[in-house]
Amino acid sequence: MQKAISKYWPIFVLPTLVAFIIGFIWPFIWGVYLSFQRFTTVSKTTFVGIQNYLSVFQDSTFLHAFGFTAVFTVVSTVLINVCAFAIALVLTRGIKGTNIFRTVFFMPNLIGGILLGYIWQILLNGVLANLQKPLLALDAKAGFVGLVILMCWQQIGYMMIIYVAGLQSVPGDLIEAAKIDGANDREILFKIKIPMVMPSVTICTFLTLTNSFKLFDQNVALTAGEPANASEMLALNIYNTFYGRSGAQWKGIGQAKAVVFFLIVVVISLIQLHFTRSKEVQQ
Amino acid sequence: MKKMITRRNFLKAAGVSAAALGLAACGGSSSSTASSAASSTAASSTAAKADGKVYYLNFKPEQDQDWQDLAAEYTKETGVPVTVVTAASGQYETTLMSEMEKSEAPTLFQVNGPVGLANWKDYCYDLSGSQLYGELTSDSFALKDGDAVTSIAYVIETYGIIYNKELLTAAGYKQEDIKGFADLKKVADDIQARKAELGVDGAFTSAGMDGSSDWRFKTHLANLPIYYEYKADGIGSTDAIKGTYLDNYKQIWDLYITDSTCDPKLLASKTGNDAVAEFVGKKAVFYQNGTWAYNDVKDLGDDNLGMLPIYIGVDGEENQGLCTGSENFWCVNNTSSEADIQATLDFLYWCVTSEAGTSAMADKMGFVIPFKKAKDSTNPLITIANQYVADGKTSVDWCFSTMPSEEWKNGVGSALTAYAAGTGKWDDVVTAFVDGWAKEYKLANG
Amino acid sequence: MSKQKRTWDVILAVVMVLLCLLWIYPIVLILLNSLKTEGSFTTSTVFRLPTAETFAGLRNYVYGVTKMDFLSSMGYSLLITVTSVVLILLCCSMTGWYLTRVNNKLSKFMNLLIVFSMVVPFQMVMFTLSKTADRLKLNNPWNICIIYLGFGAGLAVFMFTGFMKSVPMEIEEAAMIDGCNPIQIFFKVVFPILKPTMISTAILETMWVWNDYLLPTLVLDIKKYRTIPMAIQYFRGGYGRVELAPMMACIIIAIIPIIILYMTCQKYIIEGVVAGAVKG
Repeated sequence: MQKAISKYWPIFVLPTLVAFIIGFIWPFIWGVYLSFQRFTTVSKTTFVGIQNYLSVFQDSTFLHAFGFTAVFTVVSTVLINVCAFAIALVLTRGIKGTNIFRTVFFMPNLIGGILLGYIWQILLNGVLANLQKPLLALDAKAGFVGLVILMCWQQIGYMMIIYVAGLQSVPGDLIEAAKIDGANDREILFKIKIPMVMPSVTICTFLTLTNSFKLFDQNVALTAGEPANASEMLALNIYNTFYGRSGAQWKGIGQAKAVVFFLIVVVISLIQLHFTRSKEVQQ
Repeated sequence: MKKMITRRNFLKAAGVSAAALGLAACGGSSSSTASSAASSTAASSTAAKADGKVYYLNFKPEQDQDWQDLAAEYTKETGVPVTVVTAASGQYETTLMSEMEKSEAPTLFQVNGPVGLANWKDYCYDLSGSQLYGELTSDSFALKDGDAVTSIAYVIETYGIIYNKELLTAAGYKQEDIKGFADLKKVADDIQARKAELGVDGAFTSAGMDGSSDWRFKTHLANLPIYYEYKADGIGSTDAIKGTYLDNYKQIWDLYITDSTCDPKLLASKTGNDAVAEFVGKKAVFYQNGTWAYNDVKDLGDDNLGMLPIYIGVDGEENQGLCTGSENFWCVNNTSSEADIQATLDFLYWCVTSEAGTSAMADKMGFVIPFKKAKDSTNPLITIANQYVADGKTSVDWCFSTMPSEEWKNGVGSALTAYAAGTGKWDDVVTAFVDGWAKEYKLANG
Repeated sequence: MSKQKRTWDVILAVVMVLLCLLWIYPIVLILLNSLKTEGSFTTSTVFRLPTAETFAGLRNYVYGVTKMDFLSSMGYSLLITVTSVVLILLCCSMTGWYLTRVNNKLSKFMNLLIVFSMVVPFQMVMFTLSKTADRLKLNNPWNICIIYLGFGAGLAVFMFTGFMKSVPMEIEEAAMIDGCNPIQIFFKVVFPILKPTMISTAILETMWVWNDYLLPTLVLDIKKYRTIPMAIQYFRGGYGRVELAPMMACIIIAIIPIIILYMTCQKYIIEGVVAGAVKG
């Protein structure tokens, strides 16, 4: 059987592979190559060794964006997961209207980041103006808080769905047995429910982690990095290095930043893999 | 590199012949005769012309539709396809950068002045031999790199303090009463003191210090101290600004934020849209802006609009006029094919000489264009601006095109905002202005 | 105990209702303001309800749609999403099946690549990908699906292989003995089994492609084509003026089809998300 199928690879694998090469492999290899070059147009490049990478770490906007992104990622990951889990707990109690609640909470996920960014810009600027505080684009702290609120609004519903699925898969007789043994609600939550949904926790944590870390659309639409790049996140910083700055050195530096960005994401993913594996062993 | 040089040489030769034709055409013949003459001289260039096309990456979103219409008209007349794309606001540089990477790059784009030009000069076709350059009324509207004419201004704009005549009269003043900063302050303070009686919220509109209108202060207002410093030192640009007139800058900024529709602390929670709404809603008498803003303020009625020079308290300012200049320069992409370059040059020439082109630019776009066949614009703010020139007032040049970078402007803007809110000191503005200039100049040119 | 639980249920239900209102509010706010006349509200007065004086009816909708040619943007968004998702589903399900049933060097190589590609952020290939697409003329709404297949294949193939691993080979072997060739086996036997995974994958990929902003902005020929997220940007006018009311009208128009789609296939969407998360 295997032999018979394997001959058919031009039909089953080739189309995907060709698109894969065009849309991913070739641009990736080329990108790595260009990160060691100085160029304005790709037809004329000069090899500069690791100069671009050295420049990346001397670029204060990149370091600032890195710090901003890191803090944002941690804050939003914690907030989103705590809130999503809490809502999931409520929605698995069997109160009336659970389906409607779930529908509403999930809805923002279907709206694109650019649209969400503009919606919240109008709303938050309105709130700030009424509080007589500086607008989003003038105050990096407001921009930060705004981004966190926006991300919570968008992502809580998504994570909640995953937590609900996790909680529903906790066997009911396990909880019944615990109740008979005289466990109270809190003990059931911390000793049974939370340990049982740990796989969901891992999944959601890393989903929010990578989503927040790679955030671009919302950042562009809500603050566009204002004021003076103070609310600029890594993805936007890379974009701006490529397309917002003129000068022969910037494209190479932008590509080097992209490689560094990629490596950070790889590290996060490896940690995730490690966590998932070790959890699976435990169970 | 070698390839580029040979192409340049070829184009130079072509340009010389085009200029000769342009001179011949000056005898009163229209552009169509010029092009037919060209076709008879060089058969190859006609062939090239036939399949040339124009791709214009336009900077001004408010004129997008007018350009689309004009382009369609040109295509109907000549059969040459003209595509106009307008970059979304605030994204011109990024759009230009990504479009220039593509195989069908813009043949026509624009820069905002010498600083913007520095980034793109390698892509600028030398316009010195073009018919377009021949139509220019003054050489000061062209940007040069050595002998090469890299870009040509296509619209002249003017700004100052737009005021509401009805409200100023109601307060008991007229334009003639304001001949300098002291007068302006006296009038503004008086209006501010009697704001309840006059039914306004303040003398000046609020600011809008976010991206929506901070350029009115970090760029346009900051132009005045730079202009006077250049004038005193007899220079046209500098690598290190001294800040001789920064006290005057403080004076006018203090006036703007004190005699305003809102508490200075609240300026940071207003947008440009808010400032316009206040002025159009007759809640403020003065609104610093330029001729381009006419569509926003026209609801007040043409007769009701006036413009004042921005006085900052410099000696001899009674002869100061409005601030006039350009930050919109056309560049033709020298990496486009020869046919496309020729098509682009023809299109531009048609825009600034033909009846359809000049009327569209004057009437629909409301532009004053620095070309010989220009029509008078119907924009009433421009009429006011012209009156100042006719009265012999000295126009203030737009020196802000020599500001070292966007970062510099942002630095000044943030410092101004912080100062208004009371969270920063004026010294921070001075630092951003003087030290920031030297730092950014070095970064941009070093 | 039971009475106490009931009191809690009531309290929590009320909290949930309030939260839901909070969740819907931003969209309601946009809807209300899209009905006001342009210039009738300032930054701080967006919270006021439209009055007889400021009510604009559908004027902003008409203006926004005609000025930005918004319907063609919606058409392009739809075209790109449908072609890309169909292509992704077809090619990736075939590849996914092949990779689980055949264990050779090609399969190993592909599996490695797929996991790898899921990790790579778009910024890494942003510049070179747009260059490649430009050279290969993949810059129009009909061809851009190849880019989406290339960049979206990772997740899709991963989902399909994950599912196929749990499907026993017996039926396929029986079909082979009956004389079916692999193509027949795939479309007659395997394809129907894959339906739930198809739906999950379709939903995840649709959410991505429909809302994608940066890729089409860089890749598409902006002279001719704009998708919805791209078109929305153009309401920001020169000199910092934003045509807020028409922009909000277009945001509403862009949201409505998604909400309708969501209401009709909510069950699948939620299942799709769960399936995608558990496997991803």
